[in-house]
Amino acid sequence: MSYVDAGYAAALGTMLVYAVTLVVRRRRWERALKMSEPAAEPDGAPVRGEPS
Amino acid sequence: MTEQVIVPRRPRWLDVVGILGIVALGFTVWLGLWITPPDVVQGNLARLLYVHPAVATVALYWAGGVAAGGSLLYLWPRTRSFFWDRLAASAVEVGAVFSALTLVTGSLWGRPVWGVWWTWDARLTSTALLLLLEIGYLALRRVPADLDVRAKRCAVAALLVAVDVPIVHFSVDWWNTLHQGGTILDPGFDLHVHGIMLWTMGLSFVAFTLVFVWLLGVRYQVEVLQDAVGDQELEVSLSERWGEDADLVSVAGGRAPHGSGGAA
Repeated sequence: MSYVDAGYAAALGTMLVYAVTLVVRRRRWERALKMSEPAAEPDGAPVRGEPS
Repeated sequence: MTEQVIVPRRPRWLDVVGILGIVALGFTVWLGLWITPPDVVQGNLARLLYVHPAVATVALYWAGGVAAGGSLLYLWPRTRSFFWDRLAASAVEVGAVFSALTLVTGSLWGRPVWGVWWTWDARLTSTALLLLLEIGYLALRRVPADLDVRAKRCAVAALLVAVDVPIVHFSVDWWNTLHQGGTILDPGFDLHVHGIMLWTMGLSFVAFTLVFVWLLGVRYQVEVLQDAVGDQELEVSLSERWGEDADLVSVAGGRAPHGSGGAA
């Protein structure tokens, strides 16, 4: 592998891994938020979660 | 200052930015690796310059600017909002990734051109210091504290990180460095790159900027969700505590068994 290939692979690979990590983190926190919400919200209460 | 954490809807424009970023990045790689000619002096190694300067620009100016601007706007009482604090924190994390990539891609270019992976050159050292400061900021952010206390100390820390940004920028002017001066423009605004090479470089700046905006947007959503979960858990704990207190009051107020005389 040349230095050029290594540079492109490092840049694109790192960004891909970081992007996937962020999306996974976002999904995990969305799930955690849903779990921590009170079981029954009264009608008309402010929406406090990610709309599906 | 406290405020209820409201999780906003996922903005549609962020998906558009992400798709545009991927397309622009694809074109940059295609042009950079296959279409542009080799450089007269550096040969194929010049192809790394379609990545490294753009990544460094994002790390230094875009991420550094958002982090410093967001922190200043948080510290300024008239504009104080957790939006700015979360935006600054997101920018520092994304900026740290780009700072690390700046060092890695620069090193991969420096080894064959300079003959060394690393040298204690002013530009390299100040960029490494930037990465260390960003990691320090992220460590500070993980220290448990009230949201506003955390926001204030992180804003101050981000401004300290920002002090390094002009040092990195002017390091090639202030000191004799191995690192060259302006890659595209010199101080007299004379272009050093032309033709398809210039267009590819321009596209690389657009592509990495779009990717940065997308990463920043998603990282911001993570930050909001983290705070919302913390807020929710606090509310549950408080309501449980209030429930316990109410039970204690009712016990003390008349249901005390065997005439024990009250509750603690």
